[in-house]
Amino acid sequence: MTEVADPRPLAAVLVSALAMCLIIASYRYPNVRESWSVVAALAKFGIILSMLPGVMDGTVYEWSLADSLGVEFLAGIDFVLRADPLGLLFALLASFLWIFTSFYAAGYMRGLDEHAQTRFFASFAASLSTAIGIAFAGNLVTIFIFYELLSLVTYPLVAHNEDNEARIAGRKYLAYTFFGGGVFLLAGTVLVYWLTSSADPAGEAHLAFESGGIGMLAEAAQADPVFAQAAFYLLIAGFGVKAAVMPLHSWLADAMVAPTPVSGLLHAVAVVKSGAFGVARVILDVFGPGLIYDLPLSVPGVGEVGLNIPLAILAAFTLTAASIIALRKDHLKRRLAFSTTAQLSYIVLGLSMLHPLAILGALFHIPAHAFGKLTLFFCAGAVHVETHTDYVSEMAGIGKRMPLTMSAFAIGAAGMAGMPLIAGFVSKFYMLIGSGSVGGGYWLFATALIVSGILNIAYLWPVVYTAFFESEDRHDAKPLLEFPPGGKRESYFEDDAAVATDGGDRSDEKPESGQPQPADERDDETEAKGAGTPETVNDEDEPEYAVDKYPSDHTVPEDAETHDDHAEDHHDHGDHHHGGPPAGGWERHSPFTESTWLMIFPISVIATGAVTLGVIPDYAVFLDLAMYIVEGVFGVDSFNELHDLSLEEAMEVIDR
Amino acid sequence: MSSLAEMLPALLVAVPILLAAVPIVLGLRFERTGWSVAALTTTALTAATVYLAAAVYETGRVVHVLGGWGETADRPQGVGIELVADEFSVLIALLVTVTAAGVLAYTRVGGPRGNTFYTGYLLLIGGLLGLSLTGDVFNMFVFLEIVGLATYAMIAAGDGPESAVAALKYLILGTMGASLYLIGVGFLFMATGALNMDVLGEAIPLVAEEGGSDLTLLRAAFAFIFIGFALKVAQWPLHTWQPDAYQHAPDGVTPVIAALVSTVSAYALGRIMYNVFGPEFLTATPYLTEIVVTVGCVSVLAGSTLAVIQRDVKRMFAYSSVAQFGLIVAAYGLVTQTAFVGAVIHLIGHGVIKAGLFVAAGVVALGYGARTVDGYAGLAEHRPYTAGSIAILLIALIGIPPSAGFIGKWYVAVGAVEAEVWPVAVVIFLSTMLTLAYSARLLEKMYFTPAIPVESPHSPGPVAADGGTDTGADDHDGATALGRDSFRRGSPDAVSIGMLGILVVIAVAAVLLGFAGGAFFEWLEPFTSEVFTE
Amino acid sequence: MIEGTLDVLTTRYAYALMFVLMGIGIYMIIANENLVKKLIGVNLFQTAIFLFFVAVAYVEGGNAPIVPSDGSDPGLMASPLPHVIVLTAIVVGIALTAVGLALIVRIYAEYGTLREDTLREVRADE
Repeated sequence: MTEVADPRPLAAVLVSALAMCLIIASYRYPNVRESWSVVAALAKFGIILSMLPGVMDGTVYEWSLADSLGVEFLAGIDFVLRADPLGLLFALLASFLWIFTSFYAAGYMRGLDEHAQTRFFASFAASLSTAIGIAFAGNLVTIFIFYELLSLVTYPLVAHNEDNEARIAGRKYLAYTFFGGGVFLLAGTVLVYWLTSSADPAGEAHLAFESGGIGMLAEAAQADPVFAQAAFYLLIAGFGVKAAVMPLHSWLADAMVAPTPVSGLLHAVAVVKSGAFGVARVILDVFGPGLIYDLPLSVPGVGEVGLNIPLAILAAFTLTAASIIALRKDHLKRRLAFSTTAQLSYIVLGLSMLHPLAILGALFHIPAHAFGKLTLFFCAGAVHVETHTDYVSEMAGIGKRMPLTMSAFAIGAAGMAGMPLIAGFVSKFYMLIGSGSVGGGYWLFATALIVSGILNIAYLWPVVYTAFFESEDRHDAKPLLEFPPGGKRESYFEDDAAVATDGGDRSDEKPESGQPQPADERDDETEAKGAGTPETVNDEDEPEYAVDKYPSDHTVPEDAETHDDHAEDHHDHGDHHHGGPPAGGWERHSPFTESTWLMIFPISVIATGAVTLGVIPDYAVFLDLAMYIVEGVFGVDSFNELHDLSLEEAMEVIDR
Repeated sequence: MSSLAEMLPALLVAVPILLAAVPIVLGLRFERTGWSVAALTTTALTAATVYLAAAVYETGRVVHVLGGWGETADRPQGVGIELVADEFSVLIALLVTVTAAGVLAYTRVGGPRGNTFYTGYLLLIGGLLGLSLTGDVFNMFVFLEIVGLATYAMIAAGDGPESAVAALKYLILGTMGASLYLIGVGFLFMATGALNMDVLGEAIPLVAEEGGSDLTLLRAAFAFIFIGFALKVAQWPLHTWQPDAYQHAPDGVTPVIAALVSTVSAYALGRIMYNVFGPEFLTATPYLTEIVVTVGCVSVLAGSTLAVIQRDVKRMFAYSSVAQFGLIVAAYGLVTQTAFVGAVIHLIGHGVIKAGLFVAAGVVALGYGARTVDGYAGLAEHRPYTAGSIAILLIALIGIPPSAGFIGKWYVAVGAVEAEVWPVAVVIFLSTMLTLAYSARLLEKMYFTPAIPVESPHSPGPVAADGGTDTGADDHDGATALGRDSFRRGSPDAVSIGMLGILVVIAVAAVLLGFAGGAFFEWLEPFTSEVFTE
Repeated sequence: MIEGTLDVLTTRYAYALMFVLMGIGIYMIIANENLVKKLIGVNLFQTAIFLFFVAVAYVEGGNAPIVPSDGSDPGLMASPLPHVIVLTAIVVGIALTAVGLALIVRIYAEYGTLREDTLREVRADE
């Protein structure tokens, strides 16, 4: 591996920071402003792509503040950006998807005529800048800097709506992410700094990432295993917050109040993946699988277990639990958010199993999930822009109205579930083989993977089913969503009518141009009565409505607020119905007229990408890159050497 | 070494104090000369300090012995009063002169006006420079009181009678603090017979080694001095004067006081702890470091908590100062080289950031008519530059890199971990969240709360529930002259380019200082290595 | 115990007096509602410190600084340094008292009261 001083990693970070300035400067001209986004996205992707051949040949491009400007960031710590294979994997993915997201975002924001668009696009560009910074960060302090900045610049996107719900979500977001970054991650970094500088005879700290783990840290860990373990868990907790590993996940669902491009690119790709990526960095490049395996944790009553086991158990729990929660979410974006929580834990689980195949699967799952989830979010956003429908229960028959969008959704959903021929299959396949090769107690994790795959189908298939195989006026009840927990004795055909007339009913009741006051009052009234005591047939939909909007961590007043905002939203946008099909049922549209090209084009490209990754993973660059990373970590020349090894054998390989 | 550099420490102290008389004398004939005199003086002082700093960088510490009573063959060191410019004191002197010159950009239009104000201003600067440069513990008391006197007078220059009450409160407590310090000096003198810091620094280890009643005197001396400074630096629970003083002082005065007065007092505490008593005494005395660290940590927690519940923005920043100085005091108590560097950097960084924040509070009060947190709603939309600067400064205060706030915190945190004092480490890491709690409140108000609540049908509810305050608070706050033209409140014209300019410059400086972590460490290296290897 | 106390009182009475004065001063600052009396308390507190310095100044067998010694033993002598310190401190103290009194005059002109409790009520009403 040769290191070359090159300003390109810096350029890749700065190009969107520059775009941010230009976006703010040209706030008067929306077309110019959006074109800066696109230009910056293309430039960024171009710069990163130009480094790909070199990196695949074993070159590492590096830019350091001390070498280029002679400024030492902190005593003994340099500010380094380096493009190594792992960083490039994440950077390539984020910058590629940004191109299409910038088109989509323009379409989305214009379609809804949103306020404060300049702030939105500026923050978006800044987020990408910091995400690439995380990808290319060459040591723990640099990654910490960008990690903190990422939390900061995404905050305006979460609180974008400027209503109470958004502000509360924003507060929660800040609290969680800064607890992760400013407290856990900083504490972990300081511990590593201290450990390495006290182990080093020259007293120098070693914070730079090394493929396979920081050598000096391994020495320090032999002397001080307890602090090394504490540092490991602090760092993992720091990154785990953004990777939404339970119990630190609850910000993600709330952050879905953000506009959909944000939920899509940031809260399914850039932000949350920066957490998963950070976990990968910690496991592969800071501690290294070898050290993690050699640093047993003695648990009273169980004996010594690997440092990775608690993390793997947590991840396995998260991916099962989040999938189960997703089953009960009627709000499509929230359902997708819990799906994201689950899928991110796949990555964490794969990494923490330490087997080369599992790590390969986890790394490949980063792009695989990104393509799939971005498709799903784009579709949810397109549906919202075109029909203002946010709830799965209102989507019956929507396949007629948005055929292409819902087809893409089906592809994305299949990818999430790990169906063959879609990207998600390849990664889950490797992870399963990986956990199988380890054997022993790891069958538990294999089971979790399979169970969660089934649950994935269970919560995403109904969306596809209701869109294509049901119609507005006649569709099945959704027992999980509509009935109280434990089932309901009544026949559901009666309800059915109420559900069907849901949207129409409400819009009839309140005049479109008038004050939304009556509606609000009515909502509050129902809310006060509680979910269980519907009064009239008309109100029959209310409790159902309230139930599905009660995520476990919400309180009543907040929900009341959600209601109001939801109702008001449509007034603000001059839309004349309240989600769900219009009075006469869905209009039939051809795939080319269902939305603007600004939205259709990105959706189709990303969905195609998801299929490409699934059908010919060997030709799409990500799998190669992932294999190359694993080779580097285990220090072998070819991935084939790792294929048939058990975990112990693999660890011996790394120790050589 | 040029002779000019050796003269400079004396000139830096004497010139502003002497020139303080000029505005009054000129005031007999001319109306508004104060500002020009002050501007000229502070600019000259800045240039002189830079020159002195360069000399220190080249040749190490520069000592000026007043009246030619320097050390000779038959005369021991410490007879004459020394002024010492070393790496540590020059850094603080630079902060003082640069901030003093910068804040003048605000007071030119923003006031308070009048020649007597600038007399006080120059007196304050002279006192602060004396306090930073002096090498004599009794002389330090005199400068402490000069600074105090000037501060009390300037706080009382506020418009309302409230400022006189606040100033009197500060006067009584501040005098107590200085007096307690003087008692400590008395004990030191009893134990060692010396007042010069260098001589004391050499004598104290000997006395400590000998033990006996003189050691008891030393310990008592430290106790008195520490409590005296805890009052001056506003450590919990001795902080009560600070919020009143900061809130009621004129807007043009608060930045100077907040950025410099407590900072230089905290510097003096560090100087006494490390140069006079020395790390060995600090660690050898039972419970000493524990107490210092506890005082600091409790101040961090209490200050931040109190800041969160404040309505008045200036008061909130004042409590935030309590917390930030708590961090510095805690760092002093850790007695490691890294933590000490962290404390010094945080002194500088916090000074710069707080100066900026208080200038911003003045600009907003003047140009937007808002003084409460709720009144800041919608600031981003109507005053983007001011809001942007406040946002950057708050972010720097939280300690998000790259910023002045981060590098200080980093070194303090590393120092705490190196010393393996885990409770302090935990408090330092949590201080991010605590600072975030009150900063985010203001950020959210500025950026995500619309200024015109009548537009939205259910505004009173959310707005009130949100800030946790009742809307009644808004009524005597021009901010909420509810109505469509409420964004036209305040008098934007009263905000001069200079005021905005200095605000933006401070915000940029707060970020750029974030890249100077290595430079600060290297700059302080000669000083710290001497102190810590003794 | 009692003997020890008596011993301190007879030989170190200046120090004992200092702490008594200091205590009275602090008590006045804290407990007295009248602002002028508070300020008098501050003065008393400072006076205690002056007394302390003067008491410290007596040195057995010292030599006068600066002026060369003629070799004879001066016996108990007063070191001039603490006296100089006290002089300076007295000047500082007077300046502080002046500023404090000026502030009190201003407060009285605004609120018409010198008592702190009344002042608190007046300010709370506003």
